[in-house]
Amino acid sequence: MANHTPAVVMDNGTGYSKLGFAGNDSPSFVFPTAIATKGPTGGAGGSGSGRPAVANKPTFLTGGAGGHLSGKRGTEDLDFFIGDEALTAASGPGYGLHYPIRHGQIENWDHMERFWSNSMFKYLRVEPEDHHFLLTEPPLNPPENRENTAEIMFESFNCAGLYIAVQAVLALAASWTSSKVQDRSLTGTVIDSGEGVTHVIPVAEGYVIGSSIKSIPIAGRDITYFVQSMLRDRGEPDSSLKTAERIKEEHCYVSPDIVKEFARFDREPADRFKAFDARQPGGRTVTVDVGYERFLAPEIFFNPEIYSSDFLTPLPNIVDTTIQTSPIDVRRGLYKNIVLSGGSTLYKDFGRRLQRDIRHLVDERIKLSEAKAGNAAKSGGLDVQVITHKRQRHGPWFGGSLLGQTPEFKSYCHTKAEYEEIGPSIVRRFALLGGPGSS
Amino acid sequence: MSQSLRPYLSCVRSTLTAALSLSNFASQASERHNVPEIEARTSPELILNPLTVSRNQEERVLIEPSVNSVRVSIRIKQADEIENILVHKFTRFLTQRAEPFFILRRKPIDGYDISFLITNFHTEEMLKHKLVDFIIQFMEDVDKEISEMKLFLNARARFVAESFLTPFD
Amino acid sequence: MLLLDYQNVLIESLLKDRFAPEATPTAIDQIVSDFDNVTFHISTPESKTRILISTSIKCYRELVQYGAEDVLQREYGPYIVAPEQGYDFSVQVDLENLPESQEEKDELVRKISLLKRNAMAAPFEQAFDEYAALHEEASKYTSESAPQGVREGGGVRAIHYRDEEAIYIKASHDRVTVIFSTVFREETDRVYGKVFLQEFVDARRRAIQNAPQVLFRHDPPLELEGQPNLKAGKGDVGYITFVLFPRHLTPARREEVISHIQTFRDYFHYHIKASKAYIHSRMRRRTADFLQVLRRARPEAEEGTKERKTASGRTFKVGG
Repeated sequence: MANHTPAVVMDNGTGYSKLGFAGNDSPSFVFPTAIATKGPTGGAGGSGSGRPAVANKPTFLTGGAGGHLSGKRGTEDLDFFIGDEALTAASGPGYGLHYPIRHGQIENWDHMERFWSNSMFKYLRVEPEDHHFLLTEPPLNPPENRENTAEIMFESFNCAGLYIAVQAVLALAASWTSSKVQDRSLTGTVIDSGEGVTHVIPVAEGYVIGSSIKSIPIAGRDITYFVQSMLRDRGEPDSSLKTAERIKEEHCYVSPDIVKEFARFDREPADRFKAFDARQPGGRTVTVDVGYERFLAPEIFFNPEIYSSDFLTPLPNIVDTTIQTSPIDVRRGLYKNIVLSGGSTLYKDFGRRLQRDIRHLVDERIKLSEAKAGNAAKSGGLDVQVITHKRQRHGPWFGGSLLGQTPEFKSYCHTKAEYEEIGPSIVRRFALLGGPGSS
Repeated sequence: MSQSLRPYLSCVRSTLTAALSLSNFASQASERHNVPEIEARTSPELILNPLTVSRNQEERVLIEPSVNSVRVSIRIKQADEIENILVHKFTRFLTQRAEPFFILRRKPIDGYDISFLITNFHTEEMLKHKLVDFIIQFMEDVDKEISEMKLFLNARARFVAESFLTPFD
Repeated sequence: MLLLDYQNVLIESLLKDRFAPEATPTAIDQIVSDFDNVTFHISTPESKTRILISTSIKCYRELVQYGAEDVLQREYGPYIVAPEQGYDFSVQVDLENLPESQEEKDELVRKISLLKRNAMAAPFEQAFDEYAALHEEASKYTSESAPQGVREGGGVRAIHYRDEEAIYIKASHDRVTVIFSTVFREETDRVYGKVFLQEFVDARRRAIQNAPQVLFRHDPPLELEGQPNLKAGKGDVGYITFVLFPRHLTPARREEVISHIQTFRDYFHYHIKASKAYIHSRMRRRTADFLQVLRRARPEAEEGTKERKTASGRTFKVGG
């Protein structure tokens, strides 16, 4: 039966979960990886007065013939919300909000199991027995975590088949839609910048070079804070985080050179300065001026000193070091295929600036070594290419969707029968999807 | 605690305490090897008489002592199909996480649900009487857990059935 | 979550977004799946303002046989378009041509998100109607003198909605019988399922007197005599019979009853899985407890003097 249903692709990230079916170009659901459960204090398991515990249940449970069971212990585990509903529920009394994933890795398996259960039965509406699943994991995820995931997927949900892919590899696969990519190789450097942290991950032939991964503590949230602080400094009428975020998403871009950009702003203010209508609670609308933060905010990737005092290495240098610490025989491929992924890489001209800066670094090094060699040997040059494409925002999910719809995907999955035969350790190895030898 | 449980557990406790007199014993067969003799069974004089403590037909403990290791295997009470499944699930869940348990054997002996292997290195590192405490507590708690899970399942089933049927009312 | 939703959440939220007055129409092309081998395709093939929603249902031919087309015609009348290639049924909504009031819009969203439910409702509706007719007929006779046809009721409507499982519906003059055949592919599920089903059978006796009667057995019930491809005897096949009494079949109740009984199989399986998840979390907690006990066996590390740091960075010594 599982042979003609689309595979389910679930990319559970620290901040957001992307859920959908393979073959689609965007996830069906994107919501926070959050779960709201009955708080340890609120209602105390429905004993005593326990009003909040009962009030949230459907009304027929509190009255009628089934009444003696309602609010009883033993059903608390069904009383929870996930995603946006969790945020809503947690803002009221009785529920506590939890994030089961920290730093990309699952920390609370109880919550994650219930999060998955609700994702499947309430949102995706799939019977897991009928579908193959493609899940994602961060680079350097311990194999025990994979085994725990498999245990839940196979033992609790009986899912027909399971494939766990590394997010960075999927992000590479997602870049195949770009016209710049000629060969569908799984070698490249992935720059994955989300809400909390930015990773630079080198991947060779579908395998992550774990020792060279670098992470940068600057990502989407920092840019939002930066915009917010600039709004505050100017004393704008609305400098809430939400407004800052909207301004970041709608107006920010990357400039080739800040000094020139400042000059341009002064020369043609009408063109460059924008206004943003912020809607405030209560229905009033105020106008917020948008100025230099348009290009200054994303600039913190390239000149971190304007934002942070402890982290000072610009992103292009990090990328360069990452590649330089990787094995020498893959470096050329890593420079040639630098792939962007995640919401914080969407600024206009982000890729172009990054490509230029990295190329500068590379060219300088080549020049230097040529000079050291006494100009006896000439280098053929090194091709640096940063790939931007349309599916960057949900890169890993889209890569998963792309690979999940291939006819051979199901043969790459581990099935429930294989799991029963060998045990959870089976998921320590997966054949490389989309790697050499497959179409 | 029920009438027969107390003598059962105290019998296991004293047997186990006696059996846990282990000494470091290098392999006689090959140099620089030091293996649990109860598993390797290289020579009959190193193995002591195994002993079974039974509470009833269903519940029993097999203690197999040797010069440097003791194997303790427990058969957990399973009165019906549901308990059978639950015991199976739970022991599998535990053995899957055997690494931090040190003394847990990854595979139970035939006819038992879960086995522990305690070697002289364990008794050197850990307090012997506390190890025995652990085994005893394990036996108590496992029974409790299984019956609680069974109760839960029944209560949940009832709740689910009534919730589904109530809207028809 | 206790009960499953009747509607498809994705379709619901998607249409709600698009129907909002300030929304800008964008292109969509999504294939999504629903329970029981139902697939939806939501797309904007012609222009961004025209949303086409197509569905393919495994047992659509059987449903048509039981009057699905009439039901769908009644529900979606003006929105129906020719079925998309590869799908069984399509409706199209034009964003430029929506109903005026918000209530009507909401009603439309609700209707379309219930597409699966409405298609599957046809055989139930037909059976309920048949019951009404038979009931009418039967009231003319005493129980002995009733003609054969009236006493026995109508034929069995079979819906093979999954590969190995089916729903059978049979109407008689005093009841409608709905039988679900079910297969458990796994031992654990079978055992859990048995516990659950036993409670379904007992629930009526114990608490909810007015609920439909539920019966559970491993071999096919007598009502299904003559049906092809019935499996029997083995432990992993089961037949769950719901007997709906006249009080469930009144016109006022029937919409709700049909919606609800349709979700039975998925509800049942959802809860088996949710129980497994709960038992998992119990086992995790118990495992952590055991580890704690075992850790006590390790002699405490030397309790020497420890250096502690305050938040301001000063250090001091504790213990001894």
